[in-house]
Amino acid sequence: MSDMTELAEPVETGHQMRDEIRSISDRSRARRQVRSRIMVVLCAIALSVTAVPLVLLLFQLFNRGLPVVLHTGFYTQLPQTPSLIAPNATGGVSNAILGTLVLTLYASVMAIPVGVLVGVYLAESDSKLAATLRVISQTMAGAPSILMGLFAFSFVVRDLHVGFSAIAGSFALAVLMLPVIVISSEIAVRGVPHTLREAGLALGAKPHKVSMKIVLPAAMTGIVTGIILAISRAIGETAPVLLVIGGGYINSWKPLDPVSALPLSIYENAKSEWPSLRTEVWGIALVLVVFVFVLSLSARIWASRKQQAR
Amino acid sequence: MSIVIPPPPDFTTHEGGGAEFNSATPSRTWYHYVLILASIVFAAVSVGFIGTILWNALPDFEHHTGTLLGGNGWQSPAGPFGGLAMIVGTLETSVVALVIAVVIGLGTSISIVFLLPRRFRNVVATLVELLAAVPSVVYGLWGFLVLAPWMLKTVIPWLNSWPFAKELFGNPGQQDGQSLLLASIVLAVMILPTFVAISREVISVVPNDLIEASLSLGATRWQMIREVVLPTAKIGLFGATFLALARATGETVAVALIAGGVANVQYHLLYPGTSIASWIATEFGEAQGNEISALMALGVLLMLVNFGLSLISRWLVSRQRKVLAVV
Repeated sequence: MSDMTELAEPVETGHQMRDEIRSISDRSRARRQVRSRIMVVLCAIALSVTAVPLVLLLFQLFNRGLPVVLHTGFYTQLPQTPSLIAPNATGGVSNAILGTLVLTLYASVMAIPVGVLVGVYLAESDSKLAATLRVISQTMAGAPSILMGLFAFSFVVRDLHVGFSAIAGSFALAVLMLPVIVISSEIAVRGVPHTLREAGLALGAKPHKVSMKIVLPAAMTGIVTGIILAISRAIGETAPVLLVIGGGYINSWKPLDPVSALPLSIYENAKSEWPSLRTEVWGIALVLVVFVFVLSLSARIWASRKQQAR
Repeated sequence: MSIVIPPPPDFTTHEGGGAEFNSATPSRTWYHYVLILASIVFAAVSVGFIGTILWNALPDFEHHTGTLLGGNGWQSPAGPFGGLAMIVGTLETSVVALVIAVVIGLGTSISIVFLLPRRFRNVVATLVELLAAVPSVVYGLWGFLVLAPWMLKTVIPWLNSWPFAKELFGNPGQQDGQSLLLASIVLAVMILPTFVAISREVISVVPNDLIEASLSLGATRWQMIREVVLPTAKIGLFGATFLALARATGETVAVALIAGGVANVQYHLLYPGTSIASWIATEFGEAQGNEISALMALGVLLMLVNFGLSLISRWLVSRQRKVLAVV
C-alpha cells in the first residue's frame, strides 16, 4: 500500500530522489576528495622525510669537516697517536689517502678487464655458461661486503701466505667490483642497436671484428659509467678492507705492504677515546664523501650527456 | 651502493649475438677464447668465494652446529660460540628498518611518480641516488657521534614518558646511546634509496591506460593509486622489499658502530645488541683458531640468507615484468 501512495505524486518524488542522490554523491565525493588530499599530503611528507637525513648529514659533514680539511698537514702528514702531553696531535691522513688510491688502482686493474670481457660475453652468448654466470653475477652484486673480506682473508692472507697487505684488500674490492662491472657492461653492449652490428656483418667483417671495432666502441659510454660506479662503491667500503689490509701507518705504493684507507681510518678514529681524533674524523669523512659524490655525479652527468648526443 | 636489477635478457629479439658464437660457422677466433677465458676466471672467483667461506666454516659445522644456531653467549678465546644473539639482533634491526623504510619509501616513490612536476623528477631521483652513494661508514659515524647523543638526551626521555614504553623498549638509563633501535633507524635511512629506486621504477611502468581509465570513471588521485597502481605493481613492490631486506641484513660497519656490539639476546630495542655481519667485523681482528671458523660459519649463515632473499626478489621483479606484459 505504501508503494501506491508514493506513486501517487510522481513528479515531486522524482525531484526529491534526484536531490537526495545528488546530495549523497556530493557528500561521498567530498569525503573521497578529502581522503585523497590527506594521502597526497602524507606522501609529500614522506618525500621530505627522505630528504632530511641527506640534508642533516651533509650539514654536519661540512660544518665539522671543513675546519679540518683546510690544513695542509691533513693531507701531507702521517697520523699520530695523541698522548697526555699532546692531546691534540693527530697528524694527517696521508697514508689513508694514498692507501685508498692504491687499493682502488690495484682493484681496478684486476676487476675491469675481466668484468668488461665477461659482460661482452654475456651479451653476445646464450650458452648454458652465460645463463649461469648471469645468475651468479646478479647474486654476487648484492652479497654483503664483509663476506669479500672473509674470502680475501682466507684465500690471500692465509692460504697464499701474503699477509695483511694492500694486495689482499684490493683483491677483496675487486671481487666486490666484478659483478657490478659485468652487469653494467652486459646492459651497455645489449643496448647497441642491431642495425650497427648487422651493417658491419653485411660489409663482410668477421663477427669478432664487428664485436671489437663496432659494438664495443658504441657501448663504451655505458661500460665506463658502470666502471666509475663500481669504483665509487669500492672506495667507500670498509668491511672488506677492515679484515685484510693491516692498517699500516706508512706511505707506500707497494702491494705487499700493509696500508690504510679512508673508510678504515674513519671507523677507527670514530671509536677512539680522544676528542681530537673524533674531531679529525669529520674531515676524513668529508674527503671520502666528496670523492664518492664527484665520481658518481660525473658518471651520471656524462652518461646523460652522451645519451642526448646520440 | 645501489643495486640495479637489469631487465632480463630478451632472447626473442636478440638473434645476431647469440647465434654468433654457437653456430657452426667458424668464428672461434682468439677473441672468442679470451672472452671464454675471462668468463671462466669470473666463474672460478665466484665458486672460490663461496667454497672458501664454506670450507673454512666446516670445522665449526662439524662440532658446534647446535651452538651456532641456538646458543647464547660468545666466550672469546675458547668458546662456546653461540650465534643466537647475532641472529636475533639481525632480525630485529632489519625488520624494524624495513618497516620504516617501506612506509616512507612507498610514499616517496608515489610522490616522485605522481605528484612532482616532471622537471623536478630527475633532480629528486639524483638526490635519492646520492643518499645511496654515501658510504656506510659515514652513516655509522653520523649515527654514532651525532644521533646517539641526541637519542640519549632527547628521544629516550620522550619515549619513556609514554605508558608501557619502558616495558616495550626497555629503560637503558645512562649508557652511551648505542642501541638496536638507533641501528634500525640508520639502517632504514641506508636501505631507503634501494627500495625507492626499484619501487619507483615498478610504479612508473604501470600502464597509462589503466590510470586514465580509473580517473575517467571519477576516481580521485588516491583512489587511482590505491585501487589501480598499487595492486598492479604489487609483486614488484614485494621484490623491492625483499631486496631492501637483503641489504639490511648484510650491512656491516654502520651497525658495528651504532648497535653497541653486545652479544646478548635482547628483545628490548633500546638496549645495545649486535648483528651477524657487524659481529664478524668487530671480532675478526682478535680471533684465533676455532673462533675464526665460528665467524666463518656466521658468514655462511649470512650468505645463505642474503642469496635467498635476493633470488626471491629477482624472481618477483621478473614476474612483475611478465604481469605487465600481459596487461
